[in-house]
Amino acid sequence: MKINQWILVLSGVILTVIHSLVFASPPISSPSAENPSLTFGPAKPDQQAAISVPSQSPAGAVEEPVEAIADPLEPVNRVFFQFNDKLYFWVLKPVATGYKAVFPEPVRVGVKNFFSNVTTPIRFVNCLLQGNFRGAGNETVRLMLNSTLGLAGFLDPAKKELKIEKQEEDFGQTLGVWGIGPLLYIEWPILGASSARDSVGYVGDLALDPRTYLIASVPANLGVRSYEEINDHSLTLGEYEDLKKAAVDPYVAKRDAFNQYRQNKIKERGKTPQPPASRREPQGFPSVQAGLQELTKDRSSFYSF
Amino acid sequence: MDIARWILGLFLAVVMNTSALAENPKDQIKQTTDRILSILTDPSHRGAAKAEERRKLIRKAVDERFDWEEMAQRALGIHWSKRTPEEKKEFVRLFEDLLARAYMDKIEGYSGERIVYAGEIIDGDRARANVKIVTSRNREIPLEYRLLKKGSQWLVYDISIEGVSLVNNYRTQFNSIILKSGYEDLVKKLKEKRSLEEKKEAKS
Repeated sequence: MKINQWILVLSGVILTVIHSLVFASPPISSPSAENPSLTFGPAKPDQQAAISVPSQSPAGAVEEPVEAIADPLEPVNRVFFQFNDKLYFWVLKPVATGYKAVFPEPVRVGVKNFFSNVTTPIRFVNCLLQGNFRGAGNETVRLMLNSTLGLAGFLDPAKKELKIEKQEEDFGQTLGVWGIGPLLYIEWPILGASSARDSVGYVGDLALDPRTYLIASVPANLGVRSYEEINDHSLTLGEYEDLKKAAVDPYVAKRDAFNQYRQNKIKERGKTPQPPASRREPQGFPSVQAGLQELTKDRSSFYSF
Repeated sequence: MDIARWILGLFLAVVMNTSALAENPKDQIKQTTDRILSILTDPSHRGAAKAEERRKLIRKAVDERFDWEEMAQRALGIHWSKRTPEEKKEFVRLFEDLLARAYMDKIEGYSGERIVYAGEIIDGDRARANVKIVTSRNREIPLEYRLLKKGSQWLVYDISIEGVSLVNNYRTQFNSIILKSGYEDLVKKLKEKRSLEEKKEAKS
């Protein structure tokens, strides 16, 4: 099959799954407080009461409410969590460790930059879809600078010299900015943590990824993506181990970390469709927003742990 | 050796003195961080033989800045009020131990990263202080401390890394376990985890 057909089939499957979940009666989600019923958009406060009441004290500007993610597929997800866990420790980690031993960090960062440069259209289009025109402009400038001065994208002079930050935007976030909630948690084998919304987003991103069209042969395409995966893992080795070490229930810890991380990314962008603080901004007074924007950065590999 | 100890003692005395002066959450975070860094970089505390002593000193510095009870209470969420005073006490200790274990390795893995104090937001008796850890390869890890004012001290009750709040993460885990198999099972799991990590430590 051609990759385009493959994407169509995949999106069809995902949409069917979502459809059956949303319209299934009775609702699949358990009545327990852990799984509030499926909702699009921000959940109503009463559905979240059991989980997001952090303390007796009134929430000020400092508090950040977090909405729990529904997990009706938990039994299946846990099976795939175990699968991904073994995949990491038995395959990904040894391979990435060997790869890391051969190639020095600057090379691996360069490879990451190169792939990131190639996938500029994903971020560019999603900036536009979120009404973040400055972000889209920044992505354009970054593409031009990094493709030329940055030696086909291996270096990142746009960030290093001009402080133009990458806009970490994807279609899942765009859907989130448009008011669509994560719907439910999905632990995909190999691909890892996701939600129903972000899975649709992933398919959208594949459609915007030039590699989908440039490398039409499926085995070659999967090869490139696997290599990118190994390269990314070589830069984040130890993070998954840390999560597991700190967790009492690693599955729930991963699910919640994914949920909070995505919610935060969507919230930051939804509110402030602006590029992160850069050197071109007025100097001299510390802006709270700039400080907050400074906090979201470069963690595109989160999906894959 | 004795001189080094004496110097450290003097240094700590100076640090403690200044801690009375600093009022902003950011400055107080900085003080604690500087104190920990000075323990880590002090040559008289290097090496495996000194690990125990070093860990104790770091733990003390962290204990003074963190409000473990507040953290534990928030992590337990709605289940906190149903606990007896003894259960609460036990839970705080277990939670404290879990966190300290998980992050001691991270702290001890310090290898010259730069720490940038990005800013703070104060809202009454609550505050956030933003910190960036910059690695030698210029990778930035943004951290956010959430603090509560108790007397003259700002005490940490949550840490958020790239939008992921630690306390929220634990609350979700604890809530899930309690709803499935009860509070007793959560305590059992925490104890199991502790003995498992203790065994690992004894090995290494």
